[in-house]
Amino acid sequence: MPVRVVVVGGGTAGWMTAAALAKLLPHRCTVHLVESETIGIVGVGEATLPHIRAFNERLGISEAEFMSSTRATFKLGIEFKNWGAIGDSYIHPFGTFGDGQSEIGFHHYWTRLRLAGRPVGSLDEYSMGVMAGRLNRFQLPEKDHESIASTFGYAYQFDATLFAPFLRRLAESMGARRTEGRVVGVDRNGESGDIESITMESGEVIEGDLFVDCSGFISLLLGKALGEPFRDWSRWLPADSAVAMPCRTETSLTPYTSAIAMPSGWRWRIPLQHRTGNGYVYSSAFTSDEAARDALVDAVEGEPIADPRVLRFVAGRRERSWAHNCVAVGLASGFLEPLESTSIYLIQQAITYLVELFPEKRISPVDRDEFNRLIDLEYDRIRDFLILHYHATTRSDTPFWDYVRTMDLPSTLSEKIDLFRRRGRIVKYREGVFLEASWVAVYIGQNIFPEGHDARAGVLPIGEVADRAEALRSRIRAAAEAMPDHAAYIRSYCAMAEAA
Amino acid sequence: MPDSRPIRDVVVAGGGIVGWSAAAALRRHLPNVGVTVIADAPAPDALAERIGSTLPSIAAFHGDLGLSEMNAVARTASGYRVGTQFEGWAGNRPAYVHTYGEHGRPFGATSFHLYWHRVRQAGGTASFDTFSPAAELARMGRFVHPQGGPGSILASFEYGLQLNPARYLDLMRAFAVHLGAREHQAKIAQVDVRGEDGFVGGLRLDDGQVVTADLFVDCTGPAARIRSALDAKFEDWSCYLPCDRVILAEGTAPASLPVMDSVVAMSSGWRWQAASPARTSHGLVYASAHLSDSKAERALRVHSGAEPRGPAVAIRIGRRPDPWLRNCVAVGEAAVALEPLEWTNLHVAHSAIDRIVAMMPDRECAPIELAEFNRQSAAEAERIRDFLMLHYVTSDRREPFWRDAAAMRIPDGLAHTLRLFRERGRLPFQEEETFARDSWLSVLFGQGVLPHRADPLTDALPIARIEAAMGQMRDSIRAMASPLPTHADYLGNMMRRAVR
Repeated sequence: MPVRVVVVGGGTAGWMTAAALAKLLPHRCTVHLVESETIGIVGVGEATLPHIRAFNERLGISEAEFMSSTRATFKLGIEFKNWGAIGDSYIHPFGTFGDGQSEIGFHHYWTRLRLAGRPVGSLDEYSMGVMAGRLNRFQLPEKDHESIASTFGYAYQFDATLFAPFLRRLAESMGARRTEGRVVGVDRNGESGDIESITMESGEVIEGDLFVDCSGFISLLLGKALGEPFRDWSRWLPADSAVAMPCRTETSLTPYTSAIAMPSGWRWRIPLQHRTGNGYVYSSAFTSDEAARDALVDAVEGEPIADPRVLRFVAGRRERSWAHNCVAVGLASGFLEPLESTSIYLIQQAITYLVELFPEKRISPVDRDEFNRLIDLEYDRIRDFLILHYHATTRSDTPFWDYVRTMDLPSTLSEKIDLFRRRGRIVKYREGVFLEASWVAVYIGQNIFPEGHDARAGVLPIGEVADRAEALRSRIRAAAEAMPDHAAYIRSYCAMAEAA
Repeated sequence: MPDSRPIRDVVVAGGGIVGWSAAAALRRHLPNVGVTVIADAPAPDALAERIGSTLPSIAAFHGDLGLSEMNAVARTASGYRVGTQFEGWAGNRPAYVHTYGEHGRPFGATSFHLYWHRVRQAGGTASFDTFSPAAELARMGRFVHPQGGPGSILASFEYGLQLNPARYLDLMRAFAVHLGAREHQAKIAQVDVRGEDGFVGGLRLDDGQVVTADLFVDCTGPAARIRSALDAKFEDWSCYLPCDRVILAEGTAPASLPVMDSVVAMSSGWRWQAASPARTSHGLVYASAHLSDSKAERALRVHSGAEPRGPAVAIRIGRRPDPWLRNCVAVGEAAVALEPLEWTNLHVAHSAIDRIVAMMPDRECAPIELAEFNRQSAAEAERIRDFLMLHYVTSDRREPFWRDAAAMRIPDGLAHTLRLFRERGRLPFQEEETFARDSWLSVLFGQGVLPHRADPLTDALPIARIEAAMGQMRDSIRAMASPLPTHADYLGNMMRRAVR
């Protein structure tokens, strides 16, 4: 007998879950998704990480078709403006610094030159992804690892309100059922506490063996019905509100997302084919909704195409994302602000782990515990990486920046920072989302410079290191300039259907 | 004031393979560092110096050094090894071969081993090692280097070397001297520890000289002649691994040269046999509580037909919690002492040497940098210990020695691995892992540990198709091996090329 899976909520998380289960475990489960058209989805135009490509590939989704349907653009990284100090700007690229051929990170050579007072320029100039981004260029990376044009990665910026319907078509074609309506009741077994069924507003009762909570912030099943405690991280990530407002695109189409520091938070700018997403993520302890809305309206570059709307949230995660027979995916399990575009990544990881640890009707605690261990690790590592962005600043121009600059850090993060400052060392882990180049980009982009370098970077005479660095810089610039314009590339590769 | 100048003078203590390998690597990767080797002969309990079987990591170590295999193998009368045959470890189960590298080819939606397990559950009888091309080479006594592109059946295995330690030592010494290491023949009479900061101030040698350095690399084996002068902390692991004695013997080379070694479980331990072109080495590893030294000596003589080389040596299994303290770093058995099962003694030394090169601090040896070195060393050592322990705790032999071994408290990391594997055949990923997933699988399946249930992802394919695909793999593995040269012929050809 297949496991009856009931997915509650039909946003990005719900339909990604339904499509993946229907595609990958057709003999093991039946998928029944319930959603209500009266409940909006949070998706505000999403920026993603490169991992999404593996997810799409596993589901057999064609890239061009997906991009056209969701009016997507390419994303080489994230631009951070005014973070370390007002006037600063850097791009955190998907990809490496240098040519990727050395066994030690390029930033060690860069540090050596910098400490010797050589005119080394910004680290950005040694990254293919950053330079292509700055020039608004894009093409798919080369496969040949020797080529400099293979040293960057990419993700997408797309309209999340179009992604869910796209996945819905796919999921339904593979047998997923959908019921429209609101959930008004959750029935639990008196002994085990497991969820037995949900009751719809229509009176329909839907039974299941495994319930996937994709209900968003409200966390209808895991949070409300099962009462799983929430681990609050707002002392490190004080932003608890966002105001979003899309506008027309009136500048050139950037192949990157921007995160621009604001007086009490930061503002996103996500360019899509048909519009630009904007939003101000702020802390209500430091600014009012009105002031935030006004600041956003002032800042957007194009003509607004919708009224500003406000969202509330708390940074943190549920103690367990899987309790009893209920797995939360996406916002129902936790929230980390979209500073590094991790929302869809976290959805995807939860689905990947759920597929790999997919239970029988009778759920084994071994599977459940392992799922929670893996997901907790993802949340905890991203948390530290986000906190770094706020903490690594010299800004003291507003109470908000003063607070984050001087707050106590989790010890897991302060140790990482000390180690980097000492000799440019990144604590490596093979699993996990942000690897060496990402940490390097943010540290150096926000003015945490190493006081020393890897000893191996000290072997060649400094003149030779300087010459090689200069040659690399020219090579990267030339390769970036040879790439086509981002907007032109999209027109030929995956233009959105007219009036779709 | 901390001394932030780069390290320029290193003293390596220990004139064995480990010491000379450290000297060669330091000179190769950091040529502006002067290296002096205090070349006292290694102690009999330094097993890395005496055991010829090595793991595949040695090939990468040689590659990084620029030491050709022609030199390392052909000129030292050494040979290759693709794995170990384990006999009698799990009651009446047939012998199994632990090889390095891929078992089966990935097909369908998930890992090969999960398909293998599904077929096994359905009554399949082919052992897991049937699907290892290297195990087929081992059974046939044939060898070639891995070759062909991805997808080729011979591309995906790894091999270690079967060294002839005496000649390999001469080679490594000559190579290190060629790279500029200096040799100082003497014994350490006394270690001077500076009163003001606890650093090693210098070594007084038995020839009356005193040597000083910025950094002391202790490769003196378990005695840790220098490092033990700084502190005597030791984490005892005899509660995890039951054997505490090793006795070695050496016989003539066999008529037909195998390409694997054999490890046979005995009533109070285990014995090995490993042949290189120049010799056959034998050893017996046992618990002194269950077998006297004289009985062990007799048993080894009977089984090997060879004379023991020296008396039994005691091994104190465990590790120093801080292998690197102040300006002294312990390498190999000076840092972590393990029994020879799975041949990790020299590997652990190589790994520490690579880590020293990669993490070389300045003269201050700042605690924050050393802590990261020690953290990685600890994770690596504990995971190896767990892998060795796996062999004992999954045995169902009934002798008192084996019953005691099976009753030992299983550390958390291994318990987690076993729990997850037994549930559904998944293996958790661990950082600083020495043995790849397929090595764990080899031993787990070989010892008869089977998951309770088949993985859901495997049932997207009908069992007949899985069986057909596996049958094809088996046939192509068999067809692949028979035209290949024997190990002896292959080495003979290499020698002829070397002479030319």
